[in-house]
Amino acid sequence: MHSRVRARVRETEGDIMTSGQPLLEIEHLTKEYGKVVALNDVSFSITDGITGILGENGAGKSTAIKILLGLVRPTSGSARVLGQDASHSVSVRGRVGYMPEHDCLPTAVSAAEFLTHMAEVSGLPPSMARTRAADTLRHVGLFEERYRAIGGYSTGMKQRVKLGQALVHDPAFVMLDEPTAGLDPAGREDMLTLIRKTHREFGISVLFSSHLMADIERSCDRIIVLQGGRLVQSGEVEHFTKETETVFIEVDSNREALMTALEKRGVVVTIERSGFTIQGRDETVYDHVRDALVEAHAPLRRMAPRRRALTELFERDGDKARDSEAA
Amino acid sequence: MSEAIAEAQPGSERGGTVFDIGYQPYTDVREGRSRGRRAIFKDGVRTALGFGRGGRAKILPWFFIVALSALGLVFSIVAAAANTMGGPGGAEKAGIPSYSDFYGIASMMLFVFAAVVAPDLLSPDKRNGVINLYRVRPITGTDYIASRWAAFLSVMLIAVWLPQIVLFLGLSGSDPVPMDYLTKNWLDIPRFILAGAAMAVYATTLAMLAASFTTRRAYASVFLVGLFVISTPFTMALSEEIGGAAGQWLAMFTLTSIPVHVNDIIFGQVSEVTEKAPARKLGSTVLVGWYFAWTIIPGLILWSRYRKLAS
Repeated sequence: MHSRVRARVRETEGDIMTSGQPLLEIEHLTKEYGKVVALNDVSFSITDGITGILGENGAGKSTAIKILLGLVRPTSGSARVLGQDASHSVSVRGRVGYMPEHDCLPTAVSAAEFLTHMAEVSGLPPSMARTRAADTLRHVGLFEERYRAIGGYSTGMKQRVKLGQALVHDPAFVMLDEPTAGLDPAGREDMLTLIRKTHREFGISVLFSSHLMADIERSCDRIIVLQGGRLVQSGEVEHFTKETETVFIEVDSNREALMTALEKRGVVVTIERSGFTIQGRDETVYDHVRDALVEAHAPLRRMAPRRRALTELFERDGDKARDSEAA
Repeated sequence: MSEAIAEAQPGSERGGTVFDIGYQPYTDVREGRSRGRRAIFKDGVRTALGFGRGGRAKILPWFFIVALSALGLVFSIVAAAANTMGGPGGAEKAGIPSYSDFYGIASMMLFVFAAVVAPDLLSPDKRNGVINLYRVRPITGTDYIASRWAAFLSVMLIAVWLPQIVLFLGLSGSDPVPMDYLTKNWLDIPRFILAGAAMAVYATTLAMLAASFTTRRAYASVFLVGLFVISTPFTMALSEEIGGAAGQWLAMFTLTSIPVHVNDIIFGQVSEVTEKAPARKLGSTVLVGWYFAWTIIPGLILWSRYRKLAS
């Protein structure tokens, strides 16, 4: 675990959490809304870092976050946040931040006043709350605009205020529900940068739900994939992408001969529209490609290492899951 | 970690270096739920009085507070003039309204004040979604609604007590011997404080309950104004028409009169507004009980609506 985060949790809320526990822990969690099963026997734990919950709309991401925040009681199973039962602990909410997906901002007050108020509601004394609000607005890039009424802000600025209110009381853990929703590409990039900064510079761990694979892939250290209320995958993002490292090659001619030469050397080749993708990226693969190119007299146009995007991986796994459910 | 982000021009005598010290974790005291409750209370008072908002947000609450105080001032000027012309006790002999009459006369204005201002403390939180942020803060639903209720009650108390204070200061100031006036009339102070509090608690609770059912402030205001303004002549006329015990009980549903009956009991005299009210004949116990029913039951409904806001 990130030592800075752990130290901060211990220093400020020593009675809430002991060393070595995960920040969030869900065990055999099931949530049913009538006949609809939103979460089905899901278990995972989250430690320090940026963790992404990925899933389509209705996969159970928001339900999981609401249970972790104590807003919804699970049908069965348990959810613990900073070592405490999420359903019963009011005090633990002072150490957790939450950025909802939907609108949650007043229009008539300034960002500075709103963040000061939310910091006070989280238990900070008024003078500290004012200082923290100004600092937080500076960190999210709204310092110059802090005295303007929120109603006049752009969507991107409102998202920053939403992030700011989640951070203003210096939580140990912040949960972001679809933080890039409704943003244009530039705004989305800015928000992802802020999310990375939240952990790497502020030392606050992040749980980040999204249905956008690219956002998760670019920002998160770990990933939890939900589909239809079930846990499909979980682990380090790097682990998934490393497994699928490939080399892409493109030649001007003799494609068939090159493919035969590669297969003769035991290389796994996938044909793509403009070239081949070769599994694995160690030195021997490059040696085999070099030898095969010589043998097949294939003029090389392009050769580049390529990490398979998470999208491809989960599309494949999603298809498998759907197939097994259908069977 | 610190990083110099800007430096003064060389040669500048008053130059210095600005450092961005980066993100600073908060390691100071956290005051928990009690601070949260106070913050919501403070925000509620500021919202009700329009502080920290644009100029338009201040117009309505301050119009009513100034108008009610002006009413108290007018009463005191008229009473002072009557005393000057008719000698000591001239105002009383001339039937000039005083402390016991004030809440009866001003009740409609007080209810309209509650109807237009109180919903601003609850409805926008639901409409804008801010309520979802309170739900994840270290406070409970009871903390939220109790703090909001107390915030508007405080504003209502200003609105009900300030005119009486103005009236008292005006009457004692216009007396040839102010200390004599104070000695003779000091009991009116706890009376108008208690009667004002009864009026404020009643109006606050009903107005907040109506506001809890809608995300639109205007809907709650229109409903409340309709309830107070339209129900009064309707029930009064109907109860007079029916007459007898049934008419008396029907008159109990004149919502604007319920706290005024309590006012009459506190002052020990009937005010001008309730003089002809059939319900007056039902007795003090029934009238006070009816008042408590109309404050406690709506209060419990209001609480139950927010109790499960967060566990």
